[in-house]
Parts: sequence; C-alpha cells; structure tokens
Amino acid sequence: MDKLPNELKQPLVELLLSVADDKFILGHRNADWTGLAPILEEDIAFSSLSQDEISHAIAIYQIAAGLVGSTADKLAYARKPDEYLCAELVELSDEFNWAIAVCRNFFCDHHDYLRLGRLAHSSYVPLAQLAGRLVAEEQIHVQHVDMLLKRLGHGDTESRERMQSALDRLAPLATGLLEPTQGIELLEAKGVYPRIEPAMFERWTEDLRHVAEASELKLQLQAPRAEAIGGRRGRHSDAFASLLDELTEVYRLEPEAAW
Amino acid sequence: MSRLRDHLPLPAEGALISPPEGDATPFEVFIQLLRGKPHVHAGTVDAVDSEMALQFAREHYGQDQACVHIWVVPRSAMLGTDYEHDVIWRSTDRSYKLARGYQVHNRWRQFRSKEDVKEYEKEDLKEHY
Amino acid sequence: MSVSASVDLKLDWDIQEDPVKLVPFEERITKGELVEPDDWMPHNYRVGMLRMAEHHANSEIVGALPEGEWITRAPTLRRKLALIAKVQDEVGHGQMLYRVSQDLGKPRDQMLRDLITGKTKYHNVFNYPAPTWADVVMIQWLVDGAAIMNQATLADGSYGPYVRTMKRINMEEAFHFKSGEDMVLTMMSGTPKQKQMAQEAFDRWWAPCLMFFGPLDKESVKTSPFMRWRIKTATNDDLRQRFVDRFAPAALDLGLKIHITVKDQDGMVTEKREDTEIRRNEKTGYWHFSQPDWNEFHRVVKGNGPLNKKRVALRRFSYEQGQWVRRAIVGGSDLPPLC
Repeated sequence: MDKLPNELKQPLVELLLSVADDKFILGHRNADWTGLAPILEEDIAFSSLSQDEISHAIAIYQIAAGLVGSTADKLAYARKPDEYLCAELVELSDEFNWAIAVCRNFFCDHHDYLRLGRLAHSSYVPLAQLAGRLVAEEQIHVQHVDMLLKRLGHGDTESRERMQSALDRLAPLATGLLEPTQGIELLEAKGVYPRIEPAMFERWTEDLRHVAEASELKLQLQAPRAEAIGGRRGRHSDAFASLLDELTEVYRLEPEAAW
Repeated sequence: MSRLRDHLPLPAEGALISPPEGDATPFEVFIQLLRGKPHVHAGTVDAVDSEMALQFAREHYGQDQACVHIWVVPRSAMLGTDYEHDVIWRSTDRSYKLARGYQVHNRWRQFRSKEDVKEYEKEDLKEHY
Repeated sequence: MSVSASVDLKLDWDIQEDPVKLVPFEERITKGELVEPDDWMPHNYRVGMLRMAEHHANSEIVGALPEGEWITRAPTLRRKLALIAKVQDEVGHGQMLYRVSQDLGKPRDQMLRDLITGKTKYHNVFNYPAPTWADVVMIQWLVDGAAIMNQATLADGSYGPYVRTMKRINMEEAFHFKSGEDMVLTMMSGTPKQKQMAQEAFDRWWAPCLMFFGPLDKESVKTSPFMRWRIKTATNDDLRQRFVDRFAPAALDLGLKIHITVKDQDGMVTEKREDTEIRRNEKTGYWHFSQPDWNEFHRVVKGNGPLNKKRVALRRFSYEQGQWVRRAIVGGSDLPPLC
C-alpha cells in the first residue's frame, strides 16, 4: 500500500518513533565519544557509526513527521520527555566505559538489524523502501560491533572480564528493546510490520548468543514480561530528563529561531 | 561542556606509570571512487590484521567522498623501488615504443589533401599518444 | 618502506651533513621536487619535519575537544551531524598526521604519551574556552578559516607525505569553513539574542585568531633553515595579514564589531573597546589592525592559558581509560587466537 488506512496511522507513528528515538538517542550518546575513544582509528569508525544512527533516525522521523504534520527537527527536539518512545538501554550514560558502549551497541545493532529487516518487507511501500536501504547499512554496524566484541572477548583476561561484566549489567535492560509499542498487533496483522518466524526474541537472542559464544562470553537473557511497561509507553529512567535537557539546551534558547 | 565530559574524574598530572604500549602495524589503503576506475592510494591505518584494517579503512578513508571499493595491504607485504638507485624508465631513446614517436601527418600529406588527412585523423586514438 | 625508529629526535645544528648528499638534496628542493620517506634527508630536516607534523597532529586531537563538548547540545539535527563529522575529521587529521610522524621515526604511542605529560605542545588556540554554541560557530568560521590559510601554504611544502596529507585535509577543512560561514550567516540574520551571542563569541576568538599564526616575525628566530628547506613556506606576519584582509571586512559586513579585549584567567572578556585601527589602506589594499596582547600569547604558550590543564587532562583521561582496550586488541594476548 502507498497510502495508509487511518486506523493504522497512530500505531505506525508510535512504532516509527520507537525506532527513530532508539537510534537518535543511541547516536547522541555514542557521538559523545568522538575524540575520546581508545584507538584513533576506532574513534573515527565509532563516530561514523554514530552519524549513521542519527541519519537513520532523521529518515524515519521524516516519515513519521509526514504522518502527523510535523518536522524531523520538531520530533527530535520539541517533544515532552514522556512523548519519546526509546528504550531505557539507549538512555543510560556509559560514563565513558568502553565495555558498556560496545555491549550496548551489540544489543541495539543486532536488534535494529532484525527490526529494519522486518520493516523492509512492510506492506507500506515508502517505509519498506527506506528500511531496505537502512538495513544494508545496519549490517555494517553489526559487523563492526561483532568484531569489537570478539577481539575484546578474546583479548586478555582483563578485557574479557570487563566485557562480561558489561554484558551482565546491560542484559536485563536490553530486553526492554523488545517492549511492544501500542497497537503493534494491528500493524503485524496488516503486514505493515511483518511477523517473523521464529519470533523476534528468539531470533535476537540466537544471534547474540552465537557471537557471544564465539567471543568466549556468556549471555543470559530473560524473555521480557508481557505486562512490563517502559520506554515504549513513554516511561523513562531518571537519566532521560537530564539527557533531554542537555540535548535541547541550545535549541530551547530560541525555539523559533533558525540555527 | 557535554555534561558527561564536565563531570569526569580527571586523572592526576605527572609521569605516566604505565609502560609504553607500542604501535599496531601499518596497512596501506587504496580507494576506488567509481566502479571501473582505478584504485588510488588514500592513506594508512594502523591495525593488527587485514580484517581490522579494512573495518578502519572503510569508516575513515571511505567516508570522505563517495567510495565504492577499498583494498588494504599490509605495508610489510609491499616492496618498492628506490628513487636514487633503481632505474625504471631507461635513458636511451624509447620513442620507438610510443605513438608520438611516429610523425605520419606530413607523410600522409604527400598522398592526401589536407582535409582528407584531417578527416582520417579524427579516428586516431589520440588519448593513447 | 620502513624507517628506522632509532633516529635521535633532537635538532642539532652542529651536525656537518655530507655535502655530497646535502647539495643535491637542496637542489631538488629548490626545483620544487618532493622529498619521500625513504630518501636521504638532513638530520635536522627529519627532526624539523617530525616536530611540525607531530605538533600539527597534537593540535588536531586537542582541537577536537572544544567543539566536541558541543556535540551533545547542537541545536538541529543537521548541525548535530555536521558537528560530529567535523570533530571526527579532526581526529582523522590527527590520525593521518601521526602516521606521517610515525614514518619519520617516532611511535604514535610515544607521541600520545609526550602530549599528555607536557613534553610536546599543541596549538595555543585550543586553550581558549567555548562557553556557548556561538563559540562553535566562530571556531568553524574563524579558526578553520585561519587553519586553511596556514595549511594552504603548508601544502606547498617539500615533504611528500605531509604535503599530500595537507591537500586531503584542506579538502575537508573547506567543508568545516563553509559550515562555519553558513552558521555565522544564520546567526547574524537571526534574533537579537543570537546576534549578541555571535558578537560575544567573536570578541573571544578574534585575538586568539590573530595569534594563531605565531609570534611577530621579528621575534620568531628559528625559521630560516626551515624556510630554505620549504618545511615552512610563508611567514607568520604574511599569513596574519592575509587573515585580517579576508575576515575583517567580512565581519564588518555581517554587522560584527571588531574589539580590543581584556580577558580574565578563564579567557572570558572583561573589558572591550572598538579597535579604531581597523580600516583598509586604499593605497596598498591591506587592512590595518591592532596587534593582540602578545604577553597573553606567551603566557598561554608557557601553559598558563585558560584551559591548558583541562585540555591535557581530558587527553590523558582518554589515553588511560583506553589502555585496557589497546592492551587487549594491539598488545600480546594470553587467550587462543581469534578464529
């Protein structure tokens, strides 16, 4: 379909915002590393991937903005905290701990790869076209983060311990990525967000476990509780208000001005 | 200041306690800007193996301009000539192996009119001269 | 293609270079030929070139810090992307220039350690604060504008790898400068508050930019052999004049005022008055301007600028927090190799 039936509009906007907000906030967090990462070449690469996250977010915001009559910038900068639909995992500050930064990307990139892969088969044509391009780029992210995980898992005892402890710390938060947005069943039923077999959680954990094992790391993931309510319903960590405050600091000086 | 950067526990000054680390090894990077065009040397990355070098190269030298293909080569695998001691192109007359060593224009003029020679030379592969 | 890492890295003007090698070397430079890493070169040429490339590399990675602070707060999506890309470019330039320096004989790790223990320096201009978004704007417009002018002359130098790197860098600096111009034009056609922010940031950056090109030629002693070898190709005063000729009229046209300022220890302006010297000399075409406070320049060079300690501390933090990563990835491993 080229035109979206009315009853699908709100559910799709929420789904799009959850994808774009995850990417925007992750890119925002990761970009803070630019100039400070452990190896110059990796600094450049990591920054390049952060730019991708934000660029992907913009492209998805633009589709959402078209549906609600807004702009990508307004969606990114001018919503209230409880109108953002990102998962708590991306909100967390990594405190410039490289192990946390890498492991967070590990969870997010594999998840985004599956999510964009599903959207690439969406019955809503403009979305399918966009997601098809983005998923090819997401694959670069998956390759890169897998390389980092393997090398640090295999590196030495210290690096393996640091990586293991970061994985253990983030794993409970990571499953929050899979919290469904409102009305997702309808989108699935209409093929706007096609289902996959095996289902998302199984696919994602299988992908992650495969790489973790090849990296000599252990990974325990509990399937998310169906009744858990978090970022996808606008409920965020305490860190998020402060993050948003910083992100919009200049924008809020003169919200109507051009910058 | 980024809030996170502003609240970092900044390290003490003075000499570093840790021992020097040493560098990874250099890999030369060649980029191709369009399919079918030659690869050109773009720069160097330090890495521990080709796979890592390629990951680094594609996000560094591959992102400054539109780029379709990248090669990385460990510098240790490259052997080069020496500007001072290695002669490559010979100093004796090599015009016999160059198109521009053959001045046929005036010869043709003995057999054909000026216009005909001009017309004939249009088909010449001038870029190969 | 390797270069011995055991060269002694100190300048030594008592060395008698072999004239059989020195004379053709200097002839080649006079002809405009480029020197390549494996070529014979005078000891002081190697050291001078290494010092310049290392200082330049240091400046790039420290220069990534003042603007890096603003990545988290850029006011629009496009500006955010551009700023990340710009800061990333500085890191990329640092990487390329460290590579040039590595091939002249000094390991990268040693250069990073020397930087954070104060054994080597970086460019003075990065010791000044960027307290508002408008400072990002002025850095990209004025500091990058100054850097392009400087680097355009460096791209006319004699050391092949450095010259090629400079050309590549200048291509990217052109984007930084245009993005800076775009931002300054936007702010100066914006709200009164934006214009005021821009003026205040301009006041903070004008003098550091005049100092950007280094001390007055009459105070600058060691340049002559480096000029002969085309390690350096233009004098400080020439470049400074070129900068003023381009940026003074541009600033005035935008509605900015050029001030002589007094600053406190933190680099914030406490007093200012209009620079009444600013005018074009109709005969020569050159612009007159007041010299900046050169005492301040020397204070900052000696390490007593507003942010010297903080900038170096952040570089040190980056080095120390990344040690375990480099040890694991680059260093020896005590686990089976990756399959």
